[in-house]
Amino acid sequence: MYQIMIIEDDSVIQEELSVLLQSNGYEVTLLNDFLNMASDVKKHSPHLLLLDINLPVQDGFKICSQIRTFSSVPIIFVTSRNTDMDELNSIMLGGDDFITKPYNTSILLARIASLLKRTYASEHAETLTYQDVILHLESSKIEHQGKEVELTKNELKIMAFLFKNAGKIVPRADLVEYLWDSQLYVDDNALSVNITRIREKLKQIDITDFIQTKHRQGYLI
Amino acid sequence: MKYKHYLIDRIPCILTHILSMLGCTIFLLAIKTQKGIILILLLAWFLIVSIYINVRYYFRNRYFADILSQLDNLDKKYLISEVMDYPAFTEDRIYYHILKTANKSMMEQVSETKRERKEYKEYIEQWIHDVKTPISAMSLICENNKSDSTRKIMAELEKVSHYTEQALYYARSENVEKDYLIKEVLLSEMIHSAIAGNKQLFLQNHVSVQIENCEYTVCTDEKWIGFILNQLISNAIKYSEKESIILFEAHSNHGNIILSLNDNGVGISESDLPRIYEKGFTGKNGRTGKSSTGIGLFLCKRLCEKLGIDIAVKSKIGKGTSVELYFPKGDFVKVQE
Repeated sequence: MYQIMIIEDDSVIQEELSVLLQSNGYEVTLLNDFLNMASDVKKHSPHLLLLDINLPVQDGFKICSQIRTFSSVPIIFVTSRNTDMDELNSIMLGGDDFITKPYNTSILLARIASLLKRTYASEHAETLTYQDVILHLESSKIEHQGKEVELTKNELKIMAFLFKNAGKIVPRADLVEYLWDSQLYVDDNALSVNITRIREKLKQIDITDFIQTKHRQGYLI
Repeated sequence: MKYKHYLIDRIPCILTHILSMLGCTIFLLAIKTQKGIILILLLAWFLIVSIYINVRYYFRNRYFADILSQLDNLDKKYLISEVMDYPAFTEDRIYYHILKTANKSMMEQVSETKRERKEYKEYIEQWIHDVKTPISAMSLICENNKSDSTRKIMAELEKVSHYTEQALYYARSENVEKDYLIKEVLLSEMIHSAIAGNKQLFLQNHVSVQIENCEYTVCTDEKWIGFILNQLISNAIKYSEKESIILFEAHSNHGNIILSLNDNGVGISESDLPRIYEKGFTGKNGRTGKSSTGIGLFLCKRLCEKLGIDIAVKSKIGKGTSVELYFPKGDFVKVQE
């Protein structure tokens, strides 16, 4: 599990951000002592750093250049200032990315994921398994007892989200939002159509009643 | 200075001389001086006075012409008293001092106002940065506690952040040239991130999105274009009707990239269309129910002009609106000062 350190002086944001990251499968370390930040970073050696620019004692740029003297950990600057000067500074001082408040959480998560993927060779298997059904994320196929069927981009993303939340009821609204976050702009009606198509495809490989519709609640596998 | 006007100003002087001449002639006639001598005297007198008047005209005219040409060459006309030569005549000196004093007090006033304006602008920018923190906190809280009502709050928060962005860009739009970073950017990427920033507004208002053929790169400032797209999207959502859809479409024309944003909303009436870029213009749509500030498109137009991008709006009432952005060819971007 990746460990992400949040350096942020606003306690509400700090707290909510850690809830968000934890619910997305990251381990979170918070720093509350703004005096010896560089050495604290050294001690915890996180996989990724979310760094605010406006901080008490020292600003984020200074901390970044201090950290760069001993570590090449990926750093994402999170700031409410959005002048190009700040962006330039953050790149010059060794920041890997720059996100301005009020940030979109899906963008933030996507940036974190891609940065981690780039820095640390992916250790995750590119397949998801639930019961005896295997979802191949890379080749966009679903497999059951040796039989395979191809899925479209939309269908793959829907299945991936259902697999990740296996055993839980997934509300339609969550599913639509997830698709939008993945840059697939599917509306409510299109979602129903997609689900129907997936069910037909699943039938081809002898899976029936895999996706259950919970009336007024959502879908469940 | 016209000769005629100069002469009119000299009337008292000329009259004095004519009266003196008359008095002199009467006196000389009374003491029985020869008429020829009086005539010579009067002629000489007339000659001297007219020479004096003309020479004086020449010098005065030259003096004012100098000042006027200095004024002409000045970029900031109000600085004339700073560059004027110190005059030789007492009367001119008085005017010179008056001008200097008036100017000084005005300069103080101007710099005072400038300073106040700058401070106000800095305060606004600071305030916007400060307010972004609680907005982020609120949207994070909503994100972590998803329900129908937090989704509605998130849509409203997207609106709030639009308005704050608008205020920030309004404060900054006067000097774009000081804050830009021209890069090659992928159109589709900018569109995706603009949509991500309006996700809840799209979903809550049931507006669908379609993106076609937007895999072009353009050279521009990502942030400013992001702001423009945000404004256009929020307009399209605001004036959407049932079963609404926003279509992003791009094509290349002799190397120039044209991005069009089409909606099937309420449209803009023909009479309003020429005035949509005016600051504070709200039009029929703005007056009928939907609150409108008349700032969004004004800012879009202004930023487009500064970035060398053309913007064109076509619309039919009841059919929808189409906004086209023309990105010029090549990687040379002329940023207007």
